[in-house]
Amino acid sequence: MGSAAGGEPLLRLRGVGKVYEAGEHAVVGLEGIDLDIHPGDFLAVMGPSGSGKSTLMNILGCLDVPTTGSYELKGTPVSSLSPEALAAIRNREVGFIFQVFHLLPRYTALRNVELPLLYAGVGKEERAQRALEALRAVGLEDRKGHLSNQLSGGQKQKVAIARALVNRPSLLLADEPTGNLDSRSGEELMAILARLNAEGSTIVLVTHDLAIARNARRIVYIVDGRLVTEDRYRELRG
Amino acid sequence: MNPLDLIAVALDALRANRLRSALTMLGVIIGVAAVILLVSLGEGTKNYVEEQFAGLGANILIVTPGKIETRGGPPVIGAARHKLTLDDSRLLEKKGYLFGGVAPVVLGTAEVRSGSRSRNVTVLGVTPEFSPVRNIHVEVGSFVTDADVEAKRRVCMLGRTVKRELFGSANALGQVVKISGARFRVMGVMERKGVSLGFDIDDIAFIPVRTAMDIFDTDALVEILVSVRNKNDIDSGKELARSLLFKNHNRHEDFTITNQAAILSSLFTILDTLTYVLGGIAAISLLVGGIGIMNIMLVTVTERTNEIGIRKAVGARNRDILLQFLLESTTLSASGGLCGVLVGTSGAAAIRVLVPKIPVSVPPWAVLLAFTFSVFVGIFFGVYPARKAAALHPIEALRYE
Repeated sequence: MGSAAGGEPLLRLRGVGKVYEAGEHAVVGLEGIDLDIHPGDFLAVMGPSGSGKSTLMNILGCLDVPTTGSYELKGTPVSSLSPEALAAIRNREVGFIFQVFHLLPRYTALRNVELPLLYAGVGKEERAQRALEALRAVGLEDRKGHLSNQLSGGQKQKVAIARALVNRPSLLLADEPTGNLDSRSGEELMAILARLNAEGSTIVLVTHDLAIARNARRIVYIVDGRLVTEDRYRELRG
Repeated sequence: MNPLDLIAVALDALRANRLRSALTMLGVIIGVAAVILLVSLGEGTKNYVEEQFAGLGANILIVTPGKIETRGGPPVIGAARHKLTLDDSRLLEKKGYLFGGVAPVVLGTAEVRSGSRSRNVTVLGVTPEFSPVRNIHVEVGSFVTDADVEAKRRVCMLGRTVKRELFGSANALGQVVKISGARFRVMGVMERKGVSLGFDIDDIAFIPVRTAMDIFDTDALVEILVSVRNKNDIDSGKELARSLLFKNHNRHEDFTITNQAAILSSLFTILDTLTYVLGGIAAISLLVGGIGIMNIMLVTVTERTNEIGIRKAVGARNRDILLQFLLESTTLSASGGLCGVLVGTSGAAAIRVLVPKIPVSVPPWAVLLAFTFSVFVGIFFGVYPARKAAALHPIEALRYE
């Protein structure tokens, strides 16, 4: 599953597995994942629900750690880091875009975007300025003072993208970002992601929708916690 | 994370739930106000008693006849019960090198009459020393003199109340009154002393001690007041008086020596205890307020699980989350404490104005203690919910709806 691009990968996964303890039974979430993601990649992870694509996404985003195998982000082995160190990596290196937006409802768009900078210890004025820039990048500058629950779904997801961008992370992770949007907003959103990728952002997109996945430069398929080839995927899904 | 930003985040959250924050604070407000009010009542009572005793002098020994038995059975029949006499008083005066003054006192009640007006009053037979020892002075005229005592002169000094009842606003000096039917010349009017422990010090007539012995037909003193020159010598002075009288009474200890300071200090110990008990009971309500904070914080953490997940996803460390919630609970309790201080002190002020008879005095230490305790309560009861919030796994927190 190597990438066409050369040089050091941004992310390197080798034999990554995740086993959940669910009562007496151990549930296998991921098994033997080998994956390299290079700077500038736009990768879509395709899979049906329950295939383990969200688990993979959580591990890539350092929200969770694998139970087996190794995961290196910019050459740093992540699996052995403390929760505090993982939090710092999430803050600096990763920007999340979730299906259900996950904005703070009582905060304005601007303050939602500021949130990662708050935990990065950025001062108040710089915070506001950079958050405004990020909102401008997604074309939502004029909504900065709106509470997030006064925004439409499409606008919310744009705010979420601005929040993901604001700390200039190495990696954008989008988990079914169009899942709660109408088709027009969805297309608009994918256009923004494509533009960001063209401008140099590394993006990993998780989806079960092939039409959405086609926006990416490269697609990997996941079934029952394992990466499979496209042919095998069609076979299993067909 | 910057501390100021942290405070802003905590205040935001509290502002979002104004009513809930206010109700939670109310528990602390009531607790702190109760501590301050009750301690102020205790302290006020203590000050009141202290005032009442003020002027009695802490360096005074009181010798009274008879022995207060602190152990053993009933008094032995036939045991000599000696009285205190002027002989004892003279002895203390002559050999008591530690003493500033020795004042023998004869006590009786008698009718004092001036013309058609009469009044039953306490009559004290005293010597000139009584005035400095007991810190009671004449306002006009003169007090008993040594010559008055020696010559058993029929002169008297009237307390304010007696003077007013008999003479009204007219001048009493030089007038003649009848005490138990005998004619006495008024030589002085005492300064106002007021009521001490229910006893009206102004309702007394003073006459020379030997004159009083004649009138009341007795040679027994009701007490001998001894002032010790140096406050530090109070114990050795007591021992000196004891040994002198012991010898003079044929080696019988048939008298009792007490001192004001000892009585006062044991009384104050009781009043202090009372204050602490009242404060302690009120502190329990503060504790209950703290449990209210913990309760509300637990609800808050559950309600905001998703928010915690979001914060963690964008890089909040466990410590940031811990501090955020701890700061919320502490802000609740500290602002509740501050309001409680206001309510408590203004409540005490209101009592002082509306019901002046109830003694209240707000001691600064109680205000400080109550406030500090309230802050501590917020931290203590906030730790558990805050730790719970900090320990949430980001993925599970994000999934929570």
